[in-house]
Amino acid sequence: MLNLLEKLCLLDGTSGNEDSVREFIIGEIKGHCDYRVDNLGNIICFKNGKKRSDKRLMLDAHMDEVGLIITAVTSDGFLKFDTVGGMDASVLAFKTVKIGDILGVISSKPIHLLSKEEQKKPQKASALYIDIGASSKEEALSLVSLGDTAIIQSDFTLMGENVKAKAIDDRIGCAVLITLLKEKSEYDYTAVFSTQEEIGTRGAKVATFALNPDFALILEATTAADIAGVSDDKSVCNLGKGPAVSFMDRATAYDRSLYNASLNSGLKVQSKRAVAGGNNAGAVHLSREGVRTLAISLPCRYIHSPSCVANVNDMTDMLALTRYMLNGILSGEIK
Amino acid sequence: MNIKDLLFKLSSLDAVGNITAASDFAYGILSKYTTAEKMDNLTVIGFLDGKNDYTLMLDAHIDQIAMVVTDIDENGFLTVGAAGGIDIRTLPSRSVLVHGKKTVPAVFCATPPHLTSGEESFENISEIKLDTSLGSNAKDIISVGDFVTFSGKCGELQNNLVFGRSFDDRAAVTCLLMLAEKLHGKKLPINVAFVLSDSEELGMRGVRTAAFRVNPSEAIAIDVSFGNGIGISDDECGTLSKGGMIGISPALSKEVSNKLIEVAKENEIPYQLEIMSSKTGTNADMISINREGVKTCTLSIPLRNMHSDTEILSLDDLESVCELLYRYIMAGGVLNA
Repeated sequence: MLNLLEKLCLLDGTSGNEDSVREFIIGEIKGHCDYRVDNLGNIICFKNGKKRSDKRLMLDAHMDEVGLIITAVTSDGFLKFDTVGGMDASVLAFKTVKIGDILGVISSKPIHLLSKEEQKKPQKASALYIDIGASSKEEALSLVSLGDTAIIQSDFTLMGENVKAKAIDDRIGCAVLITLLKEKSEYDYTAVFSTQEEIGTRGAKVATFALNPDFALILEATTAADIAGVSDDKSVCNLGKGPAVSFMDRATAYDRSLYNASLNSGLKVQSKRAVAGGNNAGAVHLSREGVRTLAISLPCRYIHSPSCVANVNDMTDMLALTRYMLNGILSGEIK
Repeated sequence: MNIKDLLFKLSSLDAVGNITAASDFAYGILSKYTTAEKMDNLTVIGFLDGKNDYTLMLDAHIDQIAMVVTDIDENGFLTVGAAGGIDIRTLPSRSVLVHGKKTVPAVFCATPPHLTSGEESFENISEIKLDTSLGSNAKDIISVGDFVTFSGKCGELQNNLVFGRSFDDRAAVTCLLMLAEKLHGKKLPINVAFVLSDSEELGMRGVRTAAFRVNPSEAIAIDVSFGNGIGISDDECGTLSKGGMIGISPALSKEVSNKLIEVAKENEIPYQLEIMSSKTGTNADMISINREGVKTCTLSIPLRNMHSDTEILSLDDLESVCELLYRYIMAGGVLNA
């Protein structure tokens, strides 16, 4: 699965621009399930199992990642941008980006030209710009168009038992889902590779309406603050302690039976210990007359930065827990 | 040698403190074309004999900005100090290399969103911890005092612009190595000493002993200077692709400045001027007061994003600087001025 995750993370796909991720995923799942692509670009999958359960279950992982969008070009040929999805400006400066095939560098005043006061203030995204080496507005616009998206480039690097990469949020969900779809299944189920999560959980909303499930499992990555200088009560979840399941975040109060069932699975799992963040569950659990929903998340440090750090063993534990919940719900063992 | 390949190779190697890779590589090249010697630590000097007692010293610093490990905690998180001017606001989530018993990757912590108030203040580099993900094993591999360097790769932009780390001052090292190749075997009117000096980023330290060793009659310090960008006014920067910046300052030799301008004009080599009102902030400040004094000037390569791991420069400017220095030497510097 690590190999698969590497390929997925190195693909560029901001919200609304998930084409290359979608194309790759379709290549992977073809022949393992039926699928269609809907009006918003979601891949809606139908997995045939040996049996049909009387429960309808939907799995979800989002394909999009946070990034940048080009909003203007200056007379000198520099590009101005906005962020697509939540990105802290402090992670942007001096990073390399790709706008399609064009390389650029997010640029800023060098430290030598800043006042002592400016050196302490957090960087503002509005003071940053992308340099592609163009010498005029005309030249820049012959290479990129307004509305093009830019993605910060970042290697996939092993660090001890952890891996560092961009877009682990939520290519890990995609990797788990692809792996499951490639396996033979006991029961029929549906799965969605969704679009536009980072700009307001929009793809999952319409996909859930279409599939009308009774249950949903949201496969995600969530913030882990188990880092130096943060006390344990604020760490949210820890790398190496298994996938995190949520009782509540800012968008969802999760189904307690599903939450308890996952904690009682006997598998490696931890609680997400904060009412923070939100994900597609917020849109999914409110679909139609309501959907019983659980989020299973990979603990991830520096989420929404180009250097997400996550634990390799947590990934296989996440796959195991997802498989367990999937079969438990569909067999009726998990009520 | 291809100028881009040489720059990218030099950028990929480290030279700081006890890490000598870039210095060793440059020595290898310099010894092909000059009589080269290793001085202290990182400093390398190459001599070309012009069969007289007038020596022009060309200086480019070989060292780079870096960080140094000051603490290692039980969970494999490091505290670092700055070795050179680091913009700490831009460290969160940045990938670096820690040069311990082996070289390992690491990432600077970014404060998670649920813990930020939006009113953060970056006071000290020690507040931003470095994640090695090595847990308690970190202490077996990493020691206090080990160096940490940026891990950015080089790449190409439009119009012959390139980006990468440590272009400050490997850009100038590249020019000097290209120049040594070009001068090799030529009959020279003056002696030339190529100095690739240590510890500029820590306060122009290495060049002091090197200049004493060379004892030059005149000198040119080749370094980078600020390139144009948004929010940087014309009077504090040069423009990329418009040639090397010849320094004019009360602390520099007017004779050398004027001769550089004259040679550039005569040979139609692009150049621009860099006017400074006092000291230059480069090794020129030290060389000029070596022993009994040295006629010294700066020649700077305009560079965007200085001290980041994505510094941007124009390869055309490197060619211009190399050509200008070549013509200047063949004209005899200010020997007969």
